[in-house]
Amino acid sequence: MDMSFEEKSVWIQLFSLVVGLGGYLVVAGLMLSNGVSALPPFVPVFAVAVVLIVAVNIAGHVVAAITNRSDEADERDRLIGCRAESGSSWILGVGVIGAILSLILSVGGVWVAHLLLISLFGSEVTKDVLQIAYYRRGI
Amino acid sequence: MTQSGISIRNQIRTLRFHHGEMTQQKLADQVGVTRQTVNAIEGGKYSPSLEVAFRIAHVFGKPLEEVFQYVAASRVTATNS
Repeated sequence: MDMSFEEKSVWIQLFSLVVGLGGYLVVAGLMLSNGVSALPPFVPVFAVAVVLIVAVNIAGHVVAAITNRSDEADERDRLIGCRAESGSSWILGVGVIGAILSLILSVGGVWVAHLLLISLFGSEVTKDVLQIAYYRRGI
Repeated sequence: MTQSGISIRNQIRTLRFHHGEMTQQKLADQVGVTRQTVNAIEGGKYSPSLEVAFRIAHVFGKPLEEVFQYVAASRVTATNS
């Protein structure tokens, strides 16, 4: 596939998010289903996920920079970024509103934290998918 | 780009041919965008900003309307019927 450095960067971010945060959410789901209801046990798992995301991002960008020209983002990249952002940011907004409502309804902190994480994950993945769609199908 | 019945066509491929088969990369370097953006413009997948459109026309030494043509959908329909 003929991709600019920016498009490759989006693929790398998407992959790192799915592997890192997606993996965390699977593990966290298993922990929650096993009755873990306090936040501290989730912290080391989340730390591993963050390290994984950063490591995959760095390694991916190094490989992308070595294998092709690392052109600066141009107007098309910026427009695609803006459109994807405006098409995905509502997901995080819904998550934040949901978290506030959960707090009002006295839902446990562990559930509120994960609602926020899921909405952040959903928002970022949607943004990346939209960007890739705009790169492939045109804007 | 075809969007809501509006189509902007371009002659970039032909103009590159008439300029010694200029590569997309060379045009992109002179215009200040990526090669993939030139490819997207050429293929009708992206309508450039006015500034980039003028820069492309300037590289070929042509007026803007010889590089890009605006064709409204109603005109296309009328022409075809």
